[in-house]
Amino acid sequence: MSASVLHTEVGVSDEKQAVAKSAGRRFGALVVRLGAIAAFAAIMAYFVIFAPGFTSTFNLINVVEQSAILGVLAYGMTAVIIGGGSDVTEGGIDLSIAANMGLCAAVYATLLSMGYGDFLSVLAAIAVGMAVGALNALAVVGFGILPLLATLAVLNVAAGMELTLTQNTVVGASSPLLGVLVSGSFLGISALAWALIVFSAIMIVVVHGTSFGLRLYAVGGHPEAARAAGISVPFYVSFTYVLSGFCAAVASILTVSRLSASTPGSGELLLSVLAAALLGTVFSRRFVPTMGGTLLSVLFIGLLANGFQLLNVSSYWVNGVQGALILLVVAITSFARGSEGSR
Amino acid sequence: MSVSANDNTAKVSLRGFLAKYSVLIAFAAIVIFFSVASPTFLTPANLFNVLVNNVVMLAIVALGLTIVISSGGIDLSVGVSVDMASMVVVMLLAAGYSGVVGVAGGLGAALIVGILNAILITRLNISPFLATLGVLFIGQSTQQLATSGGQPIYLTSGYAADQFNAIARTALFGIPTPVIVLIVLVVAVHVLLHRSVFGRYVQAMGAQPGVAWYSGIRVQRELSMVHVLCALLAGVTGILLSATVKSYVPLSGNAFLLDAIGATFIGTTLSRERKPSVIGTLLGVLLLAIVKNGLLLVGWNFYWQQVGIGVLVFLVLAASFGLRRAAH
Repeated sequence: MSASVLHTEVGVSDEKQAVAKSAGRRFGALVVRLGAIAAFAAIMAYFVIFAPGFTSTFNLINVVEQSAILGVLAYGMTAVIIGGGSDVTEGGIDLSIAANMGLCAAVYATLLSMGYGDFLSVLAAIAVGMAVGALNALAVVGFGILPLLATLAVLNVAAGMELTLTQNTVVGASSPLLGVLVSGSFLGISALAWALIVFSAIMIVVVHGTSFGLRLYAVGGHPEAARAAGISVPFYVSFTYVLSGFCAAVASILTVSRLSASTPGSGELLLSVLAAALLGTVFSRRFVPTMGGTLLSVLFIGLLANGFQLLNVSSYWVNGVQGALILLVVAITSFARGSEGSR
Repeated sequence: MSVSANDNTAKVSLRGFLAKYSVLIAFAAIVIFFSVASPTFLTPANLFNVLVNNVVMLAIVALGLTIVISSGGIDLSVGVSVDMASMVVVMLLAAGYSGVVGVAGGLGAALIVGILNAILITRLNISPFLATLGVLFIGQSTQQLATSGGQPIYLTSGYAADQFNAIARTALFGIPTPVIVLIVLVVAVHVLLHRSVFGRYVQAMGAQPGVAWYSGIRVQRELSMVHVLCALLAGVTGILLSATVKSYVPLSGNAFLLDAIGATFIGTTLSRERKPSVIGTLLGVLLLAIVKNGLLLVGWNFYWQQVGIGVLVFLVLAASFGLRRAAH
């Protein structure tokens, strides 16, 4: 009896310590998160005060439009990272997403220029994007290839096919749908901006508001536990890669509408997509990738480039500042994690 | 009963054998295919050309990545190390310094990239993927700012430039200097990674970082070393690159990144534990180089080559990973 009391007491004091510790941990994490967000806010405040026209409605809508393509791609990447786990060498990652967008854009623009209608061309672009995603899924889930490696091989296939299709040239395109996307507007907000808003809303609701999204996090966070709970891990992981391919196809239509053409070199977007998806983790309470966090970091990257432009700072600085910010944010994050005593 | 059991083990071991040697088998099949398909493929002149133009520079970058990947990390900034070395050496030579100073400066620039990576990873506890991604962004900006947006710098003929260009043109005992550099580096990295205490520490960190730390390995120091070595090796490639083309073209180093990662991971299929090895990496580099060259000889254009390589790497990986999974 006394032994059991003692045992309980020990248990209680352990629990108390654990509670105190986790409270401290939560406080530390909160400080870091607020610190990072404050840094973002400080940069924005600087732009508001010193960059002429930064806060004008026209400019802000322009930023949202420019961010639409990056945003849609970053959602695909975020979904893959959520479902595959955030370990960067073994976890989920889709290096082929930007090249896939290039391929879809080439398919879409080529079909349009050959005289096929919008319906068929859009359908084909989406089919191609999802097929590339399915190829990734087959490699990762079917053959068990490391995602980093599998999507690297698929990147080469997609980029090569884009080049063969377009012969490395600009393929001009125009269609009713593109016309609507370029000049259409509703409630004073342009079609491209609407595309980002609607897509964001869908992604946030699906991933953060449904049991489907919850299971997706379970699969990425602890696949063994998810399997034991009866979740089909292969299905969810495959789904994220196909979704990522779908996002690439949607982004391809947006990029063709912005440029009125499909242009080579879309692969360069990959690094920005990765940066957006990874930077987004700082906006979440547990430093996990979230759709909302990705949206905020996409807008932040867009505002950064825009602010530099308005301040007449050379655009060559944008990459470097983006890189420095990633390092700053991640260093602070890992510092907070380290001080929790988890290492 | 016992016969069927034997049969089963035979089947399993055959699968294991196929899984283990799938890269070698694919390699042999590809060599045979191109030998039949193109009369020029198996000529000494062509193989020599592949070695000098396609293998050497990629292999040196891949050696560095092999060390990093062995330690359980990754280095996305190898392209920056290549570019920085290339940029500094060409700038120094263009300013009239001698080849020796230029090469030393180039390696110094790569060293700085490596030290930056090491500080970010070991002091600030940033994961290698993110740390080197950040350095990659910063490196790209630096180059754009230094070259007003990416203008190439060409070396005009002069004593120092010719002396420097000689690195790529001269030969020793009939072997071109870049190939000799590669051989020396392959032997050095092989010994370092597979025959030295440092190598064992690196492998231990890659396999079990926690255990490595508890066994008293100074993980931070060894990791710093790993990233500095990788950057230096990439720097050597940068110098060979600018010696060959007698110029510095901004942001050209990134082309090595994906191929080098691919080659290293193709090499990991040779070992049961999927550990990178110098031999495996070399095999991966040779495979990529031979496929590129072979497709060119068969008459595929540059664009189809990329598709071909992607498909091939995909198939090799699928065979290796898939068969191994089936064998388990």
